[in-house]
Amino acid sequence: MKNLLFTIIIIFSISCQKDDVVENPYQLSYPAYFPELKYPLDTNPITKAGFELGKKLFNDPRLSIDNSVACSNCHVKSVAFTDPQHNPSVGVFERSGTRNAPMIANMAFQPEFLLDGGVSHLDFVPVFAIENQREMAESLVHVVTKLNKIDEYRQEFRNAFPNLDTITSPFMLKALSQYMLLLVSDEAKYDHVLQGIAQYTQDELAGKTLFDSKCATCHSGALFTNYGFFNNGLDSSFEDIGRAKITESDSDLGKFKVPSLRNIGRTAPYMHDGRFETLEEVLNHYRFGVKDSPTLAQELRTAGQLGIELSDDEAEKIILFLNTLTDYEFISNPIF
Amino acid sequence: MKKLLLISILASINLYFTSCSKDDNPTDETNGTVEVEFDNIALVDGIQRQLSMVTPGSSDYQYTNALNQKFNINLLRYYISNIVLEGPNGEYFEDKVSVTTTAVKGIYLVDESNHTSSLITLSDVPAGEYNKIKFTVGVDENGVTEGAAGGILDPATCNMFWNWNSGYIALKFEGQSPDSNGGVSGTETLDENSIHGIAYHIGGWRDIEGTAFVYNNKALSLDFDTNAKVKYGEQPHVHIVMDVLTLFNGENDIDFTGNHNVHKPLDGVDMANNIPNAFTFDHIHQ
Repeated sequence: MKNLLFTIIIIFSISCQKDDVVENPYQLSYPAYFPELKYPLDTNPITKAGFELGKKLFNDPRLSIDNSVACSNCHVKSVAFTDPQHNPSVGVFERSGTRNAPMIANMAFQPEFLLDGGVSHLDFVPVFAIENQREMAESLVHVVTKLNKIDEYRQEFRNAFPNLDTITSPFMLKALSQYMLLLVSDEAKYDHVLQGIAQYTQDELAGKTLFDSKCATCHSGALFTNYGFFNNGLDSSFEDIGRAKITESDSDLGKFKVPSLRNIGRTAPYMHDGRFETLEEVLNHYRFGVKDSPTLAQELRTAGQLGIELSDDEAEKIILFLNTLTDYEFISNPIF
Repeated sequence: MKKLLLISILASINLYFTSCSKDDNPTDETNGTVEVEFDNIALVDGIQRQLSMVTPGSSDYQYTNALNQKFNINLLRYYISNIVLEGPNGEYFEDKVSVTTTAVKGIYLVDESNHTSSLITLSDVPAGEYNKIKFTVGVDENGVTEGAAGGILDPATCNMFWNWNSGYIALKFEGQSPDSNGGVSGTETLDENSIHGIAYHIGGWRDIEGTAFVYNNKALSLDFDTNAKVKYGEQPHVHIVMDVLTLFNGENDIDFTGNHNVHKPLDGVDMANNIPNAFTFDHIHQ
C-alpha cells in the first residue's frame, strides 16, 4: 500500500514538472500506461541533430547497393511506416521480398525485432535490411565508405556526435535508432479515451469488449502485442518457417511475432506474408480459415474447435474498435 | 494539452556523462600487468607445430583430421572475453567488459592473419600470485545488449557479425578439404565455385534457460603449472595454445563430406563442443 502511494506521488510530481516545461519533441516521451522501455537510452542519448541525421539516413537511397532503395521506400510514413504499394515489398533490382514490411512505431518498447525476432537490439535492425540481398543488397562497410565521401554527412555526423572524425557504422546505426526511437504512436482515439478527452461510440465500445475477450490474450496491453511468437493457423505446412529459423526448433515452425495492432486500419496488407488486403479478411481467417498443425496456437483451438467464434456483427464491431487505434497525429507529424 | 499522462525521460544525458567519469580510476602503483598470448598451433604426433596458412583455393593440404581427411586453412579467428585471473590466496582480477561506439574493453579478437592480435595485455592487475585463468570463447550478452559497437565489434568491419540472428560469431574457420564437395556460401575467402571449400562459423550467444536457443560460446578455466607473480613493474607472460586439430577431432569428429558449411548455431554444436579441449595452458614467462 505504501508502495502504491509512493508511485502515485512520483507520477504526480513528474507530470507536474512536465507542465512547467515546453515539450521538447526530441525527447522520448510516452504515456504511463505503455510497457517498460526496452532500449538502453543511456547508451544513445537522443538529440535533435542525431534524430535529424537518422531521419536523413532513413530516407537516403544511398544506403542500398545501387543507390535506389531507401528504408522509407518500404516504410512509408503516411501508412505508419509500412508499405502500401507492393505486396511483398520490392528491393533493389526489382527483387521481391518474402515478408510483409512491418510497421515502425513504438520501437523503444520492443524486445525483439523482425517477424522472426532474429534481431534483439534496435541498432542492428538496419544492418539486416541493408545487407539483405532482397532489400538493399549493400554491405555495411560500403555504406560507411560512401557516407565518408559526402561532405554534408561528415558535417552532420560531427553535429550529432561531437569530435567524430571518421564516420563508422555504430554512429550511423545509433543515429538511425534515434530517429526510430522517437517514432512513438500514442495519440490514437484509443489513447484519447484513456486520457479522458474522447469517448468511444457505442459500437466501438462493444467492439473493445469483444476484442478484450477474444483477441487480447496475444494482442495485449497498450501496444496490443504480448511480443510472443505464435502460429496463427494460416497454413498447415510452412514455406517460411518463421521463428524456427532463429531457434532452430521444430516447436517454433510457422510461428511469427504477434504484431502491434496500433494503426492497423492503415497498415494493409496483413499477416507476415501480406496475404490479406482487408481487416474483414483477417477476421474471416480467425473465424473460418484457421488451419491445424502441431504448432498451432492453443488459443485458436478451443473445445475441439479451430478459430475464434464471432458473428458477422461482432466482427464488424471489432473492426470499428481497431480503427480507433489509428493515430493521425503520428502519420502526419511533420517532425517525422 | 497534448500528452497528459506522460513520463519523460529527462535524465538520459546526465546518466551518460555520469557513467563516463566512473572509468577514471587512478592507476594503483602496486598493480601490475599480465600478458596473455594465444598461440594457434597444430598438434601433430604430439609436437606443437606453428600453424601453416594457405591462400584460398590452395590444394596444398598440411593437416589431416581423425577421419583421415586432409585439409588446410585460409582463415582462423575467434573472440576471447570475460577474462578472470584467480590466485591461491584469494587473488582475483576481472577484465571487465565495456562496449561503446568507439571502444571495446574486455573483448579481444584473435586473428591468425594478424599476429599482434594474439597478445592480450591485462593492466591494473592487483599484486599477488595467480594460478588460474578463466575466459569465454565468444561474445556473450554483455557484448550485444549495448547495441551497435565500435572497434573489434564494429558490425561493418569485424566480419564476425550475423545480421539475421544478430550477434557475433565466436569462432570462424575457413579452408579447403579434398573430401568436401564445395558449395559453401557467405564466407570471406570462399565462394560457391570453391569446389573443396569448408567453412565453420560457430555462433549462438543467447544463453537463455528454458528456450530452444543453442548457446555455443564456451567458458573455460585453465590452471597454471606455476604461479604468475604480479607486482608493479613486472609483467608475467602467460602462453595458452589453441590446437586447430582438436577443433575437428575429439568429443565430436568433424566430417568434411557432410557438415562442411556451417552458418547456424545448431550446425555448429559439434565443433563448439570441441573448443574447450582445443585450448590448453602451456607455460609462463615470469
